[in-house]
Amino acid sequence: MSEQEKKDSLVLKGCAHLFGNEVNTDIHCSNKYMLDKDIAYVAGQAFKQLDPSFQERFQSGDVIVAGKNFGNSSSREYAAQVMRYMGVSAVLASSFNRGFFRNSINNGLPVIECDTKDIETGDHLEIVLDTGLVNVTDKGLTLQSTPLPREVMAILEAGGLLQYLRQNPNW
Amino acid sequence: MGFTIAEKILGLHSTGEPVTAGQVVVAGIDFLMIHDGRALGALAAYKQLERQDLPFASKTALVMDHYTPPPTAHTADIHIAMRSFSKTHGTVLYDENSGISHQLLPENGHVTCGDIVMATDSHASSFGAFNSFGCGIEGTDAVAAMISGKCWFKVPETVKVILNGSLPPGVWAKDITLHLLSIFGVEGCNYKAIEYQGEAVATMGMDDRVTLCNHSAELGAKAALLEADDTTKSWLQAHGACEPHPVSADPDAIYSRKIKIDTPALEPLVARAHQIDQIVKAGEAGGESIQLALIGSCTNGRLSDIRQTAAILEGKKVAPGVRLMVTPASREVYLAAVREGLVETIMEAGGSFASAGCGPCIGISQRYIPGSNERVISSANRNNKGRLGNPEAEIWIGSAATVAASAVTGHITDPREIAGGTWREV
Repeated sequence: MSEQEKKDSLVLKGCAHLFGNEVNTDIHCSNKYMLDKDIAYVAGQAFKQLDPSFQERFQSGDVIVAGKNFGNSSSREYAAQVMRYMGVSAVLASSFNRGFFRNSINNGLPVIECDTKDIETGDHLEIVLDTGLVNVTDKGLTLQSTPLPREVMAILEAGGLLQYLRQNPNW
Repeated sequence: MGFTIAEKILGLHSTGEPVTAGQVVVAGIDFLMIHDGRALGALAAYKQLERQDLPFASKTALVMDHYTPPPTAHTADIHIAMRSFSKTHGTVLYDENSGISHQLLPENGHVTCGDIVMATDSHASSFGAFNSFGCGIEGTDAVAAMISGKCWFKVPETVKVILNGSLPPGVWAKDITLHLLSIFGVEGCNYKAIEYQGEAVATMGMDDRVTLCNHSAELGAKAALLEADDTTKSWLQAHGACEPHPVSADPDAIYSRKIKIDTPALEPLVARAHQIDQIVKAGEAGGESIQLALIGSCTNGRLSDIRQTAAILEGKKVAPGVRLMVTPASREVYLAAVREGLVETIMEAGGSFASAGCGPCIGISQRYIPGSNERVISSANRNNKGRLGNPEAEIWIGSAATVAASAVTGHITDPREIAGGTWREV
């Protein structure tokens, strides 16, 4: 990857889809209650209960935006995998459940802690991963998120923990 | 500058020196557990690998505790896959009905002071009772750990809970956690470690100490930690654990919050249906009638809990219309209860026993589903709507003593109101 390509891969652009506080991904985005269904089916049901129009609006590359403690409860890893399958480019929330945060990093899904109160569904976002800046482009707003630590960025850049380990066997 | 227990354990396993909250470290771990509820995720992650060997497999236990006995053909097949994986890679294996992972690991000497023990379950905080950093992960982390023997951590800030004074009769570690839930709220300590100190901890038996650390998961704790004392060390020695390397916090360690609890003033508490942080006194629960009384789970299914139950049920009968089911945390716990005559006492009173496992804590085992509009009182840890397989039933949470007392009266009852309800080991 050239320096420029690397720089571009650190900038994510997508449309915001807003949810509230305490989104339980076990219920809204995992196979916990659909053990016999494949990932394509689960992805097709994701977040429908929270917002019936979500599946029609969502496009690959879009950003999930939420309030506090996103991904709460036991938070199966599958939730992060489903979101990657859907093409979610990042999740922005005022805070995350610890397990969900970790699973997302391990599966190459950027999770960004940021004050999300000024973001609405349909806003165009531009997220610069290494500086943590979030531009709400049509509103001319720039938000500062908590930048991800270097070690976490390295796992994300590799596409997930197992990919990172393959490149760095002496972790 | 001083350090917390978490900062020291994570530091000693990574840089060799204590680290500070907020740092990200890659630390060597001492033991890994994968249970059947999450095994498919780990096996799927393993299949993505190009490599076959898993050097850390010999320090990994596969445990069949969630789907035991298997409620469906699909879950029975997960167990077949686990047995095969275990044989191929040389992991430790605990088969169906052996017990709950969080009980089996310490009971079989896999945990000691100063260790890092990772497990595919949020209640891995249990291992903190043995002065070990126990933390929940998922399949990808588990596979990475089986390859590398390592895990990445963001070093957590620590909340210090000082438990002044001793627990009064009829009040147990469960009631301490329910009290803390009323203060912090559910997941109110998200990302954080909790250290418990004070006279109440010093005078607690190991069973109650495990409850204290285990149930911290409902507070959102990444890990819960106790310092080691003679009670810890003699328990570990009796269970064949490796040489302990106790880790204590420095007096000037930095905590994100310190809170003091007046332990002698605590009373038996219950969490109301569907909200683990909606706490009321058991004696002020409005006399809600119950139909199903469940004792078990990694939180309160140990010998001390079964002893509390037997002390209350001795010479009494379970109220008409109430079913009481006890699910011991392990086969060893079950056997000890048989040998002490506790099983006889409880069964004569009209209670029943199920083989060891997660059992009626979560509906995925389909072990004991309540009827519609029924009310359950359980010694488990979570009461999300529908957790036991019927969203039309209420689940209330309390100590084993509170569950047993309620089974006798047929309504939610403060155990101190019932003969035997203030029993405690001496």
